[in-house]
Amino acid sequence: MTLLLKLSQLIDQLNELVGKSAFWLVLVMTIICAGNASVRFMFNYSSNGLLEIQWYLFAAVFLLCSPYTLQKNEHVRIDVLAGKLPPKGQAVIDIIGTLFFLLPMVIAILWLSLPLVAESYKINEMSANAGGLIRWPVKLLLPVGFTLLALQGISELIKRIAFLAGRIDDPSRKTHGPTAEEELAAAIAAAKAKEAK
Amino acid sequence: MEWIIGNMAPMMFGALVLFLLFGYPVAFSLAANGIFFGIIGVQVGLLHPALFQALPERIFGIMANDTLLAIPFFTFMGLILERSGMAEDLLDTIGQLFGPLRGGLAYAVIFVGALLAATTGVVAASVISMGLISLPIMLRYGYDKRLAAGVIAASGTLAQIIPPSLVLIIMADQLGKSVGDMYEGAMIPGLILTAMYVGYVVLLTIFKPSAAPALPPEARSLRGLKLMLRVMTTLVPPLVLIFLVLGTIFLGIATPTEGGAMGAAGALILALARKRINFKLLKQAMETTGKLSSFVVFILVGSTVFGLVFRGVNGDLWVEHLLLGLPGGKLGFLIVVNILVFLLAFFLDFFELSFIIVPLLAPVAEKLGIDLVWFGVLLAVNMQTSFMHPPFGFALFYLRSVAPASVKTTDIYWGAIPFVCIQIIMVAIIIIFPGVVSYGDDAQRAAAALERSGEGPAPIDLNTLMQGDSNEENKTQDSNADLLKNLQGDK
Repeated sequence: MTLLLKLSQLIDQLNELVGKSAFWLVLVMTIICAGNASVRFMFNYSSNGLLEIQWYLFAAVFLLCSPYTLQKNEHVRIDVLAGKLPPKGQAVIDIIGTLFFLLPMVIAILWLSLPLVAESYKINEMSANAGGLIRWPVKLLLPVGFTLLALQGISELIKRIAFLAGRIDDPSRKTHGPTAEEELAAAIAAAKAKEAK
Repeated sequence: MEWIIGNMAPMMFGALVLFLLFGYPVAFSLAANGIFFGIIGVQVGLLHPALFQALPERIFGIMANDTLLAIPFFTFMGLILERSGMAEDLLDTIGQLFGPLRGGLAYAVIFVGALLAATTGVVAASVISMGLISLPIMLRYGYDKRLAAGVIAASGTLAQIIPPSLVLIIMADQLGKSVGDMYEGAMIPGLILTAMYVGYVVLLTIFKPSAAPALPPEARSLRGLKLMLRVMTTLVPPLVLIFLVLGTIFLGIATPTEGGAMGAAGALILALARKRINFKLLKQAMETTGKLSSFVVFILVGSTVFGLVFRGVNGDLWVEHLLLGLPGGKLGFLIVVNILVFLLAFFLDFFELSFIIVPLLAPVAEKLGIDLVWFGVLLAVNMQTSFMHPPFGFALFYLRSVAPASVKTTDIYWGAIPFVCIQIIMVAIIIIFPGVVSYGDDAQRAAAALERSGEGPAPIDLNTLMQGDSNEENKTQDSNADLLKNLQGDK
């Protein structure tokens, strides 16, 4: 169990690192797209490569951030019924869900996507647009993202079982400080207090 | 065995409801449902195993989808603006401007809600800002608690329907229409809705003046020239952004994706100029954008897996059969669909509704000759209620988190109900006067109408596709040729 928990910790650290690095691509994407649009308005110049890199980056953002989103328990759920259960009941739901919903889906897509990438690499597939980009790196994101997601699923599984065994605290409880909404509320309250003085 | 094959689609749909209610993340429950029934389908010989090989290509199609690219841009822009203090400044100033009027603070909230909606498209930010700034003032000067809470929650949800809203982007993607048309179509209904909120407050001030008193003179710190100056300076930045984003999209200068990126860049520059942003806030905005994009796109991945198998087992024909068999034709369909969406909105939020329900409804709507942009706007107005429904509405939940204890949770619930009713009236208006949803130029509309009245492209049948039947292609070409003939004949 200790060894497994160690593994889970390693996976969490890996996916936190990957996720937090991928967030920066949001900014890069914004700058490229806004820059590209401005150049197009002013000089009437645009390149397919610059257009394509935007969705390459977006694919990287959502695929690489997904394991981290799972780790932080922020994938949307319908918890009308499950929300009423005690923490242990919710842990059981997560264990069943990970085993029968998440892992089969992730492994199936991972497995099916490999030939797609291999084929693209073998024939050195290029975009059909003039000046477009080479395709295999973006296709590679698919198995990479789903491998990380499968790992995160395993980590979540270990944490839930350890919780049921009484080894660790409830892993699904949000531990990462205030949410963005709470921070906004605090910022406004602070600004108002300053004004009142 | 025969029975299983014949009833696969209803079973799959019923299982979906159970899978979703189980409480595991929607994205994975959807996909698991698809894979589970896909395997059963292959076992009973209803599906060809090759069906699954289409999956990675479909997911790659989602990655390469330009429309979805607008989601992170508009989210990022909204989050940056949320922190740059625009909402606070607007509320303070506009509140001072309308304060002397009876119901003035309520008008200010509606007006600012609409302005914020046209710049950010994020419900949480509007509701929290208005709840923290306007709610205490309204309570202090004797506003009815229910009115105050209701008007704040409802005005915050205007971000859902007034462009650039996320739900319209997703709707455009799911309906196969352009985001620009969707935005144009939603503009007038959004403004009518805003006017109806105002109308409700006006009626209330006439019949129940004590619910929304005017601000006493001592509460107005700004007046005259100074007030006008403040109004000008606080109104300029949002107006510039609105032009940057919506103006360029409507004028056809920028695509919605470009408009979103320009808006996000503009919001960043604005925040930097006002010194209202630091490294930590920027990182937080990126992190929230990344997570939101990730869970939204993953719901789409899940619904793609589900949809592929559901169509494979002829689920689309089953839904079509159910809905086309309704009495009352087009109107019957619209009424049933709207009641259905309204009820589902109690439990599902708009992401789930638009990814699961809309793809099932769209082909039927198209077959009935319904304009899909109009249909999308109609559903968007309906889904807006999912934020206001007691007790699960997100806007109510955000408002609760910032409202003082003197406002009871039941006050918030009761306050929201009149606005939910206004929403229903708006749905009826769109159905009775379809002209309120206008988009594109005359030629575009005429072409769309022609396409609807004609055959239209034949629906793609997965089973035939899988067996490599080439009839399908011929059929599509034929109907295209027919359409072309119609077009030429018209001239």
